[in-house]
Amino acid sequence: MIKLGGARVYDPAHGIDGKVCDLFVHDGRMAAAPAAGTPIDGEYDLTGRIVMAGAIDLHTHIGGGKVNIARAMLPEDHRDSAFARTDLTRSGSGIAAPSTFAAGYRYAEMGYTACFEPAMLPANARQAHMEMGDTPIIDKGGYAMLGNDDFLLRLMAGGAGQRVINDYVAWTLHATQCIAIKVVNPGGISAFKFNARHLDVDDPHPHYRVTPRAILKTLTRALHELSIPHPLHVHASNLGVPGNVESTLATIDAAEGLPIHLTHVQFHSYGTDGERKFSSAAARIAEAIDRHAGVSADVGQIMFGQTVTASGDTMAQHRNSGHAHPNKWLCMDIECDAGCGVVPFRYRDGNFVNALQWTIGLELFLRVKDPWRVFLTTDHPNGAPFTSYPHLIRLLMDKGFRNEKLAQIHPDAAAHSQLASLEREYSLYEIAIMTRAAPARSLGLSDRGHLGIGAAADITVYRDHSDREKMFQAPEYVFKDGELVARDGRIVKVVRGATHVVRPEFDRGIEKRLRDYFDRYHTMRFGNFPISTDELIECGSREALVHPCARPRQ
Amino acid sequence: MFAADADDSASALVDGNPADLRTAIARTVEILRASRQPLLMSAGTDVAGMRALIELAERCGGILDHVNRDAMFRNLNVLRTTGWISTTLTEIRNRADLLVVAGTDITRHLPRFFERCYADHDTLFETGGRELWFLGDMPADLPEALRRRTTSLPVDPSRLAELFSALRVLFAGRPLGGDNIAGIPVARLSGLLQRMRDARYGVLAWAAADLTFAHADLAVQSMCEFVNDLNTRSRFAVLALGGGDADQTAQQVTTWQTGFPVCIDFSGGVPAQRAIEPGQCDALVFVSALDAGRIPQATGMPSIVLGRAGMQAGRCSVFIPVSVPGLHHSGHLYRADNVVALHMRKLSGSALPSAAQALQRVLDALKDPR
Repeated sequence: MIKLGGARVYDPAHGIDGKVCDLFVHDGRMAAAPAAGTPIDGEYDLTGRIVMAGAIDLHTHIGGGKVNIARAMLPEDHRDSAFARTDLTRSGSGIAAPSTFAAGYRYAEMGYTACFEPAMLPANARQAHMEMGDTPIIDKGGYAMLGNDDFLLRLMAGGAGQRVINDYVAWTLHATQCIAIKVVNPGGISAFKFNARHLDVDDPHPHYRVTPRAILKTLTRALHELSIPHPLHVHASNLGVPGNVESTLATIDAAEGLPIHLTHVQFHSYGTDGERKFSSAAARIAEAIDRHAGVSADVGQIMFGQTVTASGDTMAQHRNSGHAHPNKWLCMDIECDAGCGVVPFRYRDGNFVNALQWTIGLELFLRVKDPWRVFLTTDHPNGAPFTSYPHLIRLLMDKGFRNEKLAQIHPDAAAHSQLASLEREYSLYEIAIMTRAAPARSLGLSDRGHLGIGAAADITVYRDHSDREKMFQAPEYVFKDGELVARDGRIVKVVRGATHVVRPEFDRGIEKRLRDYFDRYHTMRFGNFPISTDELIECGSREALVHPCARPRQ
Repeated sequence: MFAADADDSASALVDGNPADLRTAIARTVEILRASRQPLLMSAGTDVAGMRALIELAERCGGILDHVNRDAMFRNLNVLRTTGWISTTLTEIRNRADLLVVAGTDITRHLPRFFERCYADHDTLFETGGRELWFLGDMPADLPEALRRRTTSLPVDPSRLAELFSALRVLFAGRPLGGDNIAGIPVARLSGLLQRMRDARYGVLAWAAADLTFAHADLAVQSMCEFVNDLNTRSRFAVLALGGGDADQTAQQVTTWQTGFPVCIDFSGGVPAQRAIEPGQCDALVFVSALDAGRIPQATGMPSIVLGRAGMQAGRCSVFIPVSVPGLHHSGHLYRADNVVALHMRKLSGSALPSAAQALQRVLDALKDPR
């Protein structure tokens, strides 16, 4: 039994907003106060400290083929950032595209205890799980990408019923050991293989004649009917294109009232006003999110500096390849499944478009009223490396600091933005919602993201510092499943993380259809495709944590 | 490669004499402890084997390398400076209507490539009469049905960079000086260009290991740049093969664990990429779990060989026979297209340790106080 005494606790899942209380940990779980006389094995006096559950990043590209391509492509990201092994930790390198060990340590040092790789191609799921298996300490999970795979598009073009599609979606979640389904540029990655360079929500796919709207509707419905906790995770059509606000609103509309999650929505909130034909549509997007209770979003904030963009969206990545900095980039068509594109990028505060992107992200954070439905991400590494989260938190919590930074960006962008007029400052309670309670609820992790009795003892303890960037950079203590893993921003113990998955029920009859498809068209045997739980462990996971398929309460 | 040859009775050797595994591990540890900087060379092992080999290299402050390093860098140098638009085997099987093979004997690397990826099998999409071009020698074993649709341009592979640079010029609509490029009449070159421009989904393939001429990375670069040009108006992709010996498996694991793909110097426990100086290393750990014929070159350094049972490793200080992934134990290996990892299930047991298990025992022994 461990006692964490006297801390100020922020636990929004239980409505606790800075109450001073004692917490108890037993066998890796949060426990009730023990009976008098129960021996306490360890006690931390946390007077004046701030305690939250371990943070959860629900959208971060930490593993899989495209991440590894980004690493291989960028020796300059690794040369100067390499660090040595110690008796406790392995060596590594990288900032924009950190090595797996680096990613695990840095996340844990920042108080994060679970991270979700949001773009796992089923054909590349093994690699993603192996990389995540080598990402220490934190728990992981993956979202399987569907919606550009020829199997689904053929089903839809052939008029297959929703039940068949539901079975395929469920089979995919089992076969890839994933917790959610992601769609990237619905139909667009496939359309790019047919030489289409653009596909809007109501455009028919050049071969299958299926529209992105139909793909969105079919997949949102499948997840709803399978009771998968996390809604369809949508990287919408027309990423980065001025005027794409219309596609984003059409994407919300395509869900027809069913839950939907818009990812890196900053990249999808652009208008065409002004002489440069590029403007913020954050107000319209935020208003739409507020109005639709089933819609959630993560922001994908950009930060100024060097990073690399790694995405499944070959169509968008090829379109943006002219902006590559340094000037090198890669696109890949993959296995009649999807694709990937890697484009290094440097966001500059003196560049009008980049500066406006920065304000658009912040505007979205500040304009969406419900912190339960907007999550803190930079779409690591696409908007910025995840290590910039503490800086981002300060921008959200400290209006003076924010306006100081606003004064440093391209003056026309600052003048075009309404950011300066937004008074809102996030509270610690709201930060705890958007980085803990809300992502856990959205993913259906009932025992994470909060500090109630029985929850996993993933706990982060901060010193209360008026500079929130400093405060969130290096928590005083981080506990993972009850074990102290980091102290003052340094790893003190390395543990192995688990893998969060869902396993919906489905009719195994779908496997016959899949087997026929694999035999006729694939270069891999059907039987070799699914990843068993034993194999997941071989990949490096501690265990699969299976979460029930039931809609989370909103 | 995976013929059954489980020889459980194969014995470890120390200085050429049969020894038990414990003795072999103990001698290995002695050599590594005495070494200033060991060279840890993969000549073929699975993901688990690479994981253990990297950890050992890091722990010893050694240099981690792969026997196909030079071939790997022909592609890697281009990935690091230009990038490319690439594809994978299932896409080729279902989509490609034109395949151009540059200076490469593709079936040497992928023995069933044509049969499985470029024949008259069922395809998801219309592929027409799948055309094939060889830049360089046409392989002798090409299936007859394909041979009829094959065109061969006899070009010296060392002039591929020149040829593709010329294609770029022609593609841009600029005039070419002369009527002959790399020994090919410009009219024939224009025919190739036309065919590549007209392809619905074309693929340009090479194996870096076959491009054995000086500055071969420049040939790879000009091929990638030309394919990028084509993609401004149509679809085309490259298939950049490596050289075998699980080099892609090695590169994938080293890249995700360290940030560097191959030839990694762990001096001081910090990974870095730098050239190896002659005489820099004073001990060798050589792992070849797949191919008993892949033996280390004689070096004069004390050497520890973890080899597939049956290997005639030559003179070495320690030989540890290891079991084979996908035969005696399950393991992950990357397919030639470098995207799909295959889970190779074991077919029969073996009393021999896997390379990963043997290396883990070395790591455990190194932790013990002397």
